[in-house]
Amino acid sequence: MLIDANQALSNTEQTPIDELVRKVQQGDQQAFEQLYRKHEKRVYGLCLRLLASPEYAEDVTQEVFVQLWHKIAQFKGQSQFSTWLHSVTSNIAISYLRKHKNWLQKVVSIEGSGMNEQSVDMCHGLNGLDKLVVRLPERARLVFVLHAVEGYRHEEIANMLGMAVGSSKSQYHRARQLLQEWYDNE
Amino acid sequence: MNKPDFEQFLKESLEQTKDIAPRRDLWKGIENAIASAPLEDKQSSYWPKLTGIAACLLAGLMAWQVVLNQPQQNTMTNMSAFFEQQKQSLLVQYEAQPALTSDWQAQLAELESAEQAIKAALQSDPENAALLQMLAQVYQQQLDLINKVHEPRWQQI
Repeated sequence: MLIDANQALSNTEQTPIDELVRKVQQGDQQAFEQLYRKHEKRVYGLCLRLLASPEYAEDVTQEVFVQLWHKIAQFKGQSQFSTWLHSVTSNIAISYLRKHKNWLQKVVSIEGSGMNEQSVDMCHGLNGLDKLVVRLPERARLVFVLHAVEGYRHEEIANMLGMAVGSSKSQYHRARQLLQEWYDNE
Repeated sequence: MNKPDFEQFLKESLEQTKDIAPRRDLWKGIENAIASAPLEDKQSSYWPKLTGIAACLLAGLMAWQVVLNQPQQNTMTNMSAFFEQQKQSLLVQYEAQPALTSDWQAQLAELESAEQAIKAALQSDPENAALLQMLAQVYQQQLDLINKVHEPRWQQI
């Protein structure tokens, strides 16, 4: 049965996350909508920073919550729900990027680029730093978002992205250099 | 007013809210997906996908066997014949199943044009390993695309 989005949002503010998660694990779709309303902006924000494309970010946000519905039984409460959700989101976004490389990018390992300045201006919701982050080349952007924004260690990032720890560190350094250069020239 | 230095800008920005609202309400698509694919039904829907993935993996392995073990013969012809057979098997397997997107055949045509370009290059250098690898990957992309657009989960969004 459907419920009004505003009502779902209102209920969200009243129901603790643990309680919502428990209800969703029992198959409660209303509770799941509340959980979605509570986390949609955070998940979409992470997707947009990682993917540098509003269209991809929307696709992946939907994919995250569809997978969440099917996998929420696996959440045993060892970590905070939001931490677990961010981990699921990051992995799905990275996997999505891999799948959506075109054949030429896959064959010759061309790195994906970031948004151009014109697209950044048309993309709503980005703050000052975000506007620079989405312009970064793909690998530098992924490492910067996962390390600086999401707080992952370089060892974890290396594992997630299938690169050496040293490469993760150098991509982070590269990202900071580019960000500073763009910031100073603004 | 002076612009803050980069370190200060970075620190302050990272402390700000990380929320960004999507441009549209995404809930409807999610709701459709989870309403139409209850958990118990998902178990059986994995089998066609697993079969497809297994076929793709087998195709990839066999293609490399062709490349590695039969250098004296016309590798491109052998590989093409093998992949074409795999592709037709998948297309027959998914014949009765609706595809996620209406333009997947256009995407397939794009990959097929890449296939033709590589084959044309191979005409003048038939045993070029890099070109053969590219050809194998383009074939693999075609099989992945056919599997992907017929994956049951995505049809609900």
